[in-house]
Amino acid sequence: MTRNSEDAEDLVQETYLKAYRYYDKFEEGTNFKAWLFKIMKNTFINNYRKKQQAPTLSDFAEIEESFENQVSEDASKPSLKNPEEELLENVLDEDVQRALDKLPPDYRMVVLLADLEGFSYKEIAEILDVPVGTVMSRLYRGRRLLEAAMLEFARDHGYLREGEPVKMRSRNSTAK
Amino acid sequence: MDCKEVSTVLFLFFDGEMDDATLTPFKDHVGRCGDCAKQVDYTRKLLLIVRERTIRCTAPDSLRHRILTHLPHRRNTAPGPH
Repeated sequence: MTRNSEDAEDLVQETYLKAYRYYDKFEEGTNFKAWLFKIMKNTFINNYRKKQQAPTLSDFAEIEESFENQVSEDASKPSLKNPEEELLENVLDEDVQRALDKLPPDYRMVVLLADLEGFSYKEIAEILDVPVGTVMSRLYRGRRLLEAAMLEFARDHGYLREGEPVKMRSRNSTAK
Repeated sequence: MDCKEVSTVLFLFFDGEMDDATLTPFKDHVGRCGDCAKQVDYTRKLLLIVRERTIRCTAPDSLRHRILTHLPHRRNTAPGPH
């Protein structure tokens, strides 16, 4: 969320301290982890706004737009071509992280909550205070942007030389 | 269900959020359509990469210590013989 470990530690600390302070507001029987994440999300947004001198939503929209322009060419292509699948298999761990860090905040948050934390759509909707439909659309768009960015990084690294497809580990049965 | 609809609901399938009324026609179509079967396979790989290859950080002990020392009126909840 914060993109650096120092801020992440501060955010975790602030979240725990708030959770402790407001524990009486936690409803027994509901998801405690989701409650903690909700506090974390609100704290993160509040701190972000303080740092940025209260940016409006258009700031997020701007980042989003610029990112989407950057990858729109890739994202609009169907992702069924063999070279893309082969590229995907050769993506480095750092590329996955970089692609995730590069996502616009709204999309990154949803992808993190779904794919890394394993929350359901309903839980994510509660954490972020948005309708389930919004969670679904952000997740769809976020994952597609992530895919496009990962492929772009993999291509930049030149894992796949043009006209020479990389052999896939699990499908190399013809070359015995 | 057609190929376009499959593409729209694909993530619901992998997220375990697809309702039964959608699941049956989805499986039916993917079972018959080679392109969609490929897309399902590709998406499975994509999500696995995101889930398994993202760098995970473990909170350092120093952070745990920092939080515990900042708790107001800390209760004695530490596990131990006393």
